[in-house]
Amino acid sequence: MKKKVLAIFLSTVLSVSTLAGCGGGAAPAAPAAGGADAGAAETKQEESTEAAPDETAEAKSGKQTDGKNVPELTTEPMTITLWDISTEDPNKTIAEEAVARFTADYPNITVNHVHQQNDNYKQQLVVAMSSGQCPDIYVHWGGGPMAEYYKSGHACDITDMYAKYDHPEYVEAAVAQSTYDGKMLAIPFSGLTGCDIFYNKTIFKDLGIEVPQTIDELEAVCEKLKENGIIPFSLANASKWTGSMYYMYLVARHSGNAEFDAAYTQENGGSFTSPAFIYAGEKIQDWVKKGYFPDGVNSLTADDNQDRALLYDGSAAMMLHGSWQVGGIKADNEEWYNENIGVFRFPEDTEAKAAGVPQNVEIGTAIGMGMTFNCFKEDGSVDQDKLDACFVLATQYFNDDTYNAEQVAAGTVPSIKGFNENIDDPNNKYIIDEFFKASNVQLWYDQYLPASVTEVHKDCMTELFGLEKTPQEIGEEQDAAMQKALAE
Amino acid sequence: MEKGRNTGLARTRARSTAGAATVFLLPALILIIVFIVYPVIDTFVISGFKWNGISSDRTLIGLDNWNTLIHDEMFWKSFGHNLTVMVFSILLQIPLGMLLATFLDAGGKKFNIFKIIWFLPYLMSSVAIAFLFVYALATNGGLISSLATLINGKKTTIDLLGKSPNALFTIIGVMAWQFTPFYMVYFVAGYGNIDTTIYEAAVIDGATRGQYLRYIAIPLLGPIFKTACTMSLIGSLKYFDMIWNMTQGGPAGTTELMATYMYKLSFQQFNMGYGSTVAAGMFILITAIALLFNKVFRVKEDY
Repeated sequence: MKKKVLAIFLSTVLSVSTLAGCGGGAAPAAPAAGGADAGAAETKQEESTEAAPDETAEAKSGKQTDGKNVPELTTEPMTITLWDISTEDPNKTIAEEAVARFTADYPNITVNHVHQQNDNYKQQLVVAMSSGQCPDIYVHWGGGPMAEYYKSGHACDITDMYAKYDHPEYVEAAVAQSTYDGKMLAIPFSGLTGCDIFYNKTIFKDLGIEVPQTIDELEAVCEKLKENGIIPFSLANASKWTGSMYYMYLVARHSGNAEFDAAYTQENGGSFTSPAFIYAGEKIQDWVKKGYFPDGVNSLTADDNQDRALLYDGSAAMMLHGSWQVGGIKADNEEWYNENIGVFRFPEDTEAKAAGVPQNVEIGTAIGMGMTFNCFKEDGSVDQDKLDACFVLATQYFNDDTYNAEQVAAGTVPSIKGFNENIDDPNNKYIIDEFFKASNVQLWYDQYLPASVTEVHKDCMTELFGLEKTPQEIGEEQDAAMQKALAE
Repeated sequence: MEKGRNTGLARTRARSTAGAATVFLLPALILIIVFIVYPVIDTFVISGFKWNGISSDRTLIGLDNWNTLIHDEMFWKSFGHNLTVMVFSILLQIPLGMLLATFLDAGGKKFNIFKIIWFLPYLMSSVAIAFLFVYALATNGGLISSLATLINGKKTTIDLLGKSPNALFTIIGVMAWQFTPFYMVYFVAGYGNIDTTIYEAAVIDGATRGQYLRYIAIPLLGPIFKTACTMSLIGSLKYFDMIWNMTQGGPAGTTELMATYMYKLSFQQFNMGYGSTVAAGMFILITAIALLFNKVFRVKEDY
């Protein structure tokens, strides 16, 4: 794996002296950059004298795409609008630098790079799409909304381009998540995100607690923490998707992916009231009653990091959360992080294990976010020139070595093969290793489900943790929403 | 002759007034048509379609959305919340505003400092107020819970936003905090409009301050009450911004208002067609209630 990364690196620096041809026969459909060099060298196409590479000076002054099998871009002036949600550093700088490298190589192309606020981004995108102002490139989290964007004609199918041209070698799960209905619709550019239990090592050590391996052991740990006046789990459930993580994991441990997949289709008896969902709901409500979660759990918000705050002041000992917390906690106080924070995977369900249910399904996402291209002409046909430019920007400048190195430095693990090695942070390494060992990755429900079901699911999480409805009732609600969404 | 010239002049004058009126009204008219009339009509048009909001094709489904709306439990539940908010807004904001205004009116210039301080909440944006209160009411380290912990001597959590029915009433309280100053200023202006000679006459006739208020000032403020109530009513029925930033309709839809429901449908759930139906339904309901309210009040005024 390392070799391949090295190959990409070398081929960039010591780029060969020709631009890659974009004609059909120019290069074999080679996903790896190493294989593309040979193919690209055969055809030399010069679009204009200006763009023609000077063979000798090339190694120093050429574009970083030289020698790669990428589509040849127009030399006409062009403007690409790019929307992302990188409003804060380090992501903001990383993204802007990638764009700057692109425009330096293709000075005729202007990139109108807009950073939108995350909170209202999805709505903003809907408004833009409905009013014909959809950006040429926009970022999203995949899942149900990506399908919706595609069905509404705001996403270019890049399956053929992906097969034909060079691109980073993404992990399979990332490609799968960028695909809908057999069509590749997005280029991943952020990273792998796992979900595991962060815990306070110092508290565990002081109380002589071992990391639990099974859910029974986890409950024993909770009891012990309770006895010592410590809240077992820090959870800010006003955000709803936070509570959903407990629900998803309990379902996954009890039934793998099987019952969720069945409930998603609502076929062959599949239902959100099937045993695993009832089990998960009852477990959660039992834990709420026993005081395993903080008081007022439904009014704490994760956006304000109120869950992290409970870890910081030692009032809570564990927190089931996404791997982005590593970077977040580190940024708050790296010293404290190094001393106190450890991570373990969601414990196993012994009974289910005995019945042969896989216990290594991980919750998370393999792409974090993807970039999708909306390059259409007035008449609805694909604007190939623009799409080419967008594709090159997303695959060769985002996701290039500089970009990936900066991502890694910021604590994100790119969804590209090989990056799971050499991770410095032990917690991050643990999370990523678990991710790669997983028999299957369950994408967050709130991103995977159709948008209308997501809302219902999220409200159900409030009701579940608030003890306002029974697991059976929320199951029925989710079933009803799912059936309605499927009927549409 | 002279008569004829007069009529001619009058006609010219009428014509030029009409001309000027058109010129002056046109910009406003255009703005109203573009930003109010057209969107309202379009909302009704879209409500007849099944449309996800981003696709170029819409499917005409006639009155299906309206049929759904009539049987939509969530919509009526939201409407119920709106009504609760409306009733309590009128009951809280207007009497409180009136009380403060009476206090300010009695105090005269020396109370100007109160006038300024009390007016401050209304000057803040709803979003800022929402965030302010979310932090102040947080169960973890928020003002209220911390105070309760201090008084109680042990960790006490008062969950004002995470539970029903607390959440809705907390929001009503915060709304009152925000809007009472507006009605206060409104009533201060109302008091200012009452001729001082009336007060003097009353005093000469031997009326006490209380009698003056009860029998003279308050009846004279009648029209102001009516307008204030109508404004509060419409305001609470279409309320959105602060509630969105505080609870987003949560926990579990217990603070869902018609407007937040409409927003979620249209922009989060890819259901613009039905979202528009909800918006149109809101339009009809609010108009009906406001008209009804006006009618009832007019009858009262007549006696």
